[in-house]
Amino acid sequence: MPAAAIEVEDLHHAYGAVPALNGISFQVGAGECFGLLGPNGAGKTTTIQAIVGALRPDRGRVAILGEDDPTRPSVRSRIGVVPQSLALYQELTGEENLAFFGKLYGLNGARLKARVDATLALAGLTDRAKDRASTYSGGMQRRLNLVCGLIHDPLVILMDEPTVGVDPQSRNLIFENIESLKAQGRTVLYTTHYMEEAERLCDRVAIVDHGKILALDRVSALLTLSPTPSPDLEAVFLHLTGTTLRDQ
Amino acid sequence: MSAILAIALKDLKLLARDKSGFFWVLVFPLLIALFFGSVFAGGESRAPMPIAVVDEDGSAFSHSMAAELAKSEALHVHGMSLDSARTAVRRGRLTAYVLFPKGSGQSLGFGSANDSSSIELGLDPSRRAEAGYLKGLVTQALFSSLMGSFTLEAPGREAIRERIASIEADTTIAATRRGELALFYRNLDQMLGSLDRVERAAPDSAAPRSAGPRIRTRDMTAETAEPRSPFEVTFPSAVMWALIGVCMSFAISIVHERLTGTLLRLRLAPISRTQVLLGKALAAFLAAMGATGLLLTFASLVLGVRITNPPALLAALAASAFCFVGIMMVISTLGRTHQAVSGAGWAILLVMSMTGGGMIPLIAMPSWMVTLSHFSLVKWGVLAVEGAIWRGFSWSEMALPLGILVAVGALGLAIGARRLERAQS
Repeated sequence: MPAAAIEVEDLHHAYGAVPALNGISFQVGAGECFGLLGPNGAGKTTTIQAIVGALRPDRGRVAILGEDDPTRPSVRSRIGVVPQSLALYQELTGEENLAFFGKLYGLNGARLKARVDATLALAGLTDRAKDRASTYSGGMQRRLNLVCGLIHDPLVILMDEPTVGVDPQSRNLIFENIESLKAQGRTVLYTTHYMEEAERLCDRVAIVDHGKILALDRVSALLTLSPTPSPDLEAVFLHLTGTTLRDQ
Repeated sequence: MSAILAIALKDLKLLARDKSGFFWVLVFPLLIALFFGSVFAGGESRAPMPIAVVDEDGSAFSHSMAAELAKSEALHVHGMSLDSARTAVRRGRLTAYVLFPKGSGQSLGFGSANDSSSIELGLDPSRRAEAGYLKGLVTQALFSSLMGSFTLEAPGREAIRERIASIEADTTIAATRRGELALFYRNLDQMLGSLDRVERAAPDSAAPRSAGPRIRTRDMTAETAEPRSPFEVTFPSAVMWALIGVCMSFAISIVHERLTGTLLRLRLAPISRTQVLLGKALAAFLAAMGATGLLLTFASLVLGVRITNPPALLAALAASAFCFVGIMMVISTLGRTHQAVSGAGWAILLVMSMTGGGMIPLIAMPSWMVTLSHFSLVKWGVLAVEGAIWRGFSWSEMALPLGILVAVGALGLAIGARRLERAQS
């Protein structure tokens, strides 16, 4: 594995009496696409929040690009986050949303305009750039949500279930974007509960549940754990996490 | 700084595009001010105040006083018995009654507070705003009557002469003391006689001196600190409604950002939490200044509301806006959902408005409510704005409301920022 871009060591965190992280540890190499695969409430989002410093874990250590404190501006300017929720200003246009987030990262003038144009093109929203986000379809909003996290061209990107509720065309475009980022050498941490996404995009996958990593390996290696005659990642997932409903 | 400005401009843009927010911040306060201003206005001039004059003395002095009051264009005077007058005032048919009790002619109205011969003013307590005006008119009538009573052949001069005779005949007073008192009253009589002769000889003294000056309806605002039009009362209240609108819009927008995740994006950007909060606060402050400025510009240009002290008004608006920005920060942390924050915010601000002059003007409040209003920030905001508009406050008088507003604003910002950080972490 190349030098670690993200290091997570023995993370523990509880929301009141409810444990969310129970000793999570892993490393993501520079340029790697790493998948966190788990059912609802497994601790995927909490892990991302702890990595980016939005949440202070009860115990454990996080380092990004060799720096221990993810809240430092020098770290934050090099990481991009795509939240699970549609974190957009609905009454601003697509272009205005991107320009606003770009300014927060110190972009301005021609550089800002170039990045806004590039990310709009990446999201396939150039023609709708001047329309308010509230007029976009669900898929368009997801794509805009994705590129708002890429506006400052970060080295490390953390995506929390970026394809929830989108149509196949939008999902395909998002996959192409992520593959393009991988090709550019960007590090991607990707959470999902869709097996085919993990299979298509991720170099390595960690299957998590109840705040613990149950298995961590390359997809091909994980498939060997499949209890079914034909190797199937979903079967591996259900085998490891059980079939109990997760209605959280 | 550019990040703070970017956040502020973004929030202002969002507010401008939010039709309901725009309504509560600007349109609703304007409608409130116009509606209540029109209701209170009822025409250009103040209607004559209905009062009763009760003359139990029947002296020349009381007749003169009643005549002086009846001359006033500001009063509609009814003569009646004391019982009828008291009933009429209690039932709201009259604003007040003026009683000249027995003996008031002898004391010339200058009895002590507990003296049964002193003039009595019976006031309808719900109309305290007009009490000061009436007292002024009665005092004016009193001095007019007194001036008349001390002229040649008038009862006052006659009373002095009778007093001299009485002193000279009173053997119970020591002779030296009698001489001193008699000398004093003779000198007084001579002085009044001289003044009277000079007055009569003057070319512009066509009217008999005893008639005294005519009582006219004065524009009170020209000489006293009172509003010239109802809009000067309703627009300071409207300013507070605009601030309440801004406060609630921004408090709810912070909750919205927290729920949708945009606040998380702001926190994950390479800027400090202080910058995020300052950006929010700056947007709310600018929105508040803009909305209140527009309201008062409209009031001044269209409705003739006076702005007697523009720098003080600017200070009043800035201090009020700052105060409500602080309150906004606290309110935004009072719940996790839009409904919770909206409910808590409106509950707090409506009570503040009700008790602070946002609904009932400060000048029309009964005394118990004025006491209660000290605990409302709306009251200090209204007072500061009125101080700059028509109350004619000096800077030292402005200091108290401005100081309270700024102090509460700073406290609110500190508490709100701390609670917001705790809620996020």
